[in-house]
Amino acid sequence: MRRIRRKVAVVGAGLTLFMRRALETGKELSYYAASQALESAGLRLRDIEAVVVSSGPDAFDGVHMKGEWLSDGAGGYCKPIMRSYVGGGSGVFSIIHGWYMVASGMFDTVLVVAEEKMSSCQPHPQGAFLTIFDHTLERPLGPNLLWIFALEQSRYMHTYGISNEEIALVSVKNKRNALNHPCAQVAAELTVQDVLSSEVVAWPVHRLMVSPVSDGAAAIVLASEHVAKRITDKPVWVEGVGWCLDTSYWGNRDLAYPRYVEYAARMAYEMAGIREPRKEIHVVEPYDPFAYKELHHLEGLLLAERGKAAEDLVNGRFDRDGELPSCPSGGLMGVGNPIAAAGLMKVCEIFWQLRGEAGKRQVPGNPKKGLAQAWGDLMQIGTVVVLGR
Amino acid sequence: MGIREKPTRMDQVQSWRADFPVEYLYTTGVAGERFAKTLRERGMLAATRCQRCGVTYLPPRIYCQRCFADLSESWVEVPLQGVIHTYTVVPVRATGEPSQSLEVIAYIRIDGTEGGILGRVAVSPEAVYIGMAVEGVLAPPAERRGAVTDIRYFKPILS
Repeated sequence: MRRIRRKVAVVGAGLTLFMRRALETGKELSYYAASQALESAGLRLRDIEAVVVSSGPDAFDGVHMKGEWLSDGAGGYCKPIMRSYVGGGSGVFSIIHGWYMVASGMFDTVLVVAEEKMSSCQPHPQGAFLTIFDHTLERPLGPNLLWIFALEQSRYMHTYGISNEEIALVSVKNKRNALNHPCAQVAAELTVQDVLSSEVVAWPVHRLMVSPVSDGAAAIVLASEHVAKRITDKPVWVEGVGWCLDTSYWGNRDLAYPRYVEYAARMAYEMAGIREPRKEIHVVEPYDPFAYKELHHLEGLLLAERGKAAEDLVNGRFDRDGELPSCPSGGLMGVGNPIAAAGLMKVCEIFWQLRGEAGKRQVPGNPKKGLAQAWGDLMQIGTVVVLGR
Repeated sequence: MGIREKPTRMDQVQSWRADFPVEYLYTTGVAGERFAKTLRERGMLAATRCQRCGVTYLPPRIYCQRCFADLSESWVEVPLQGVIHTYTVVPVRATGEPSQSLEVIAYIRIDGTEGGILGRVAVSPEAVYIGMAVEGVLAPPAERRGAVTDIRYFKPILS
C-alpha cells in the first residue's frame, strides 16, 4: 500500500431525524441532510465540485437506479456524481469514496450524502432482504435475514461462552446513549430484563436486540487541505481508510470472528500510522444493527481481545465515560437504522465528538482520534475510517 | 407536517401504492447443475477441490477463490453427513402468521469439506446442540427434482 500525500478533511456534517415513516421522499431527506452539512461547513452548493450519493438496495425505496434518482436532492445536479453501494457497509464506504475523489487531486470539495427510505417497502422491508441469499442453494429453504444473524450470534456465543444477558446489555447501553441524540428513533431507558423479555424473533435474538426499520439521511462535506484550512479552524482529517470483502458463501466463514473487519481495520490503521489501536483510538462507532454485532466488530477492529468484548462491556469499558466509549451516539440500536444513512451517521458522530460538538453525548477527555465502521452485503464486508484532529 | 414531526401511522401521510413487478428465472450454473445432478442421481453432495490450496469447496464453485485455479474438472463427492456448526430456533411462519410451532435451522459443516449447507433439523429445540452429528434425509429417488429441497431435512446420527 502506498502512502497518499494529499490530505483530506471533513469540514461539515448534517443529519435528519431518523424515523419509521417520514413524510419526506428520499430526495427531500437527502436535501435536508446535505443542506445542513453545507451550512455547517459554511459552503454553498456552487462551492461543491463533486458528489457521492450512497444508498442501499433499490428495493427499499422501490426506485430502480436510486442513486441517479436521488442525485438532485443530494446536490448532484449537473455535477460529477457517483453512487457508493456495498449494502449495509455503504455509509462508511461513502466517505472512502469521497476521500478518493479529493485525495486523488481531482477535486477540492466533495459532498457525500447517504439516504435510505425503508418505509416505502410493503408490507415490511424484510421482503427486500429475501433475495440476498444464493438463489439455488438457500432461497428454496425460505431463509430470512434474522436466520443468518441468529446463526452467527449463536456461534459467537458458543465459541467464547458469552451469555445472552451480556448481549442484551449492548441494547441497554445504546438505547440509553440515544436518549441524548436529537435525531433518535428508538431511544429508551431499559434493563437487561426488559430486553430478554421481548419476543424471541429467532433464538437467541430477541426483538429488542434488533435495530428498527428507518427513514433518514446523513451528509458530510470533504475538502482538500488548503480549502479546509481556509474555511475552518477545526478540520477533522481522514487519517486512514480500509475495506475488505469476504466470500458471499457466508456459511464457509468463521462466524465467530469477522476476519474481513480485521483486514479492513489493519489497512486503515497502517495508513493512519496506528500501531496500538486500543491506546490510540479514543472513541469508536462500530456498526450495531444487531446487539451482538457491536461486540463482534470491536473484536474484529482489534479494540477488544477476541471473545472478551462482552466482559469489557460488563465492566463499563465501552460506556460514554469509559476507557473506550463505543457508540456514544446510541448507534443503530438507539438512533435507528436507515441503512446507508446509519453508517454515515456514525461518521458524523465521530466528527462531532472530535470537534467537541457532541453536546450531551460528548465523551470526556478531548478525544483526538476516532473510528467509524460499517458492515454489510451478505455479512461479508467491513468498511473502516479513522478520523483525527 | 414535515421533518420536525414523526408520523406514527402509515396513513398519516399521503402516499401512492404501486408495485415493483419483476420476476426471475435463475440458471443454476455450471457448478449448480453438477451439484443438482449428483444429488438427484446418487444422493451425494458434489464439491470441488483445489489441490494446490488443499481446500474442498461446498457449495462447489468452478474456480478456487484463493488462487483462481479452474476447478471445473476437479470434483469430489461426499455423503450428506456433518456436524451442526451453529443453529437457531425460529417460529414456523409459512403464511407470515405468528405460530407456536418452532423449528431448528442449522448450518451444517459437511465432513470432508471446508464448507457446508443450510438446513432444517428434525430435532427438538431442547435436544439440539452445537457439535451434534447429523445426516441428511433425501426424498425417494423418484421424487427428486435436482434441487436442494431434495434434502428433506437433517436428523441426528444415533451412535
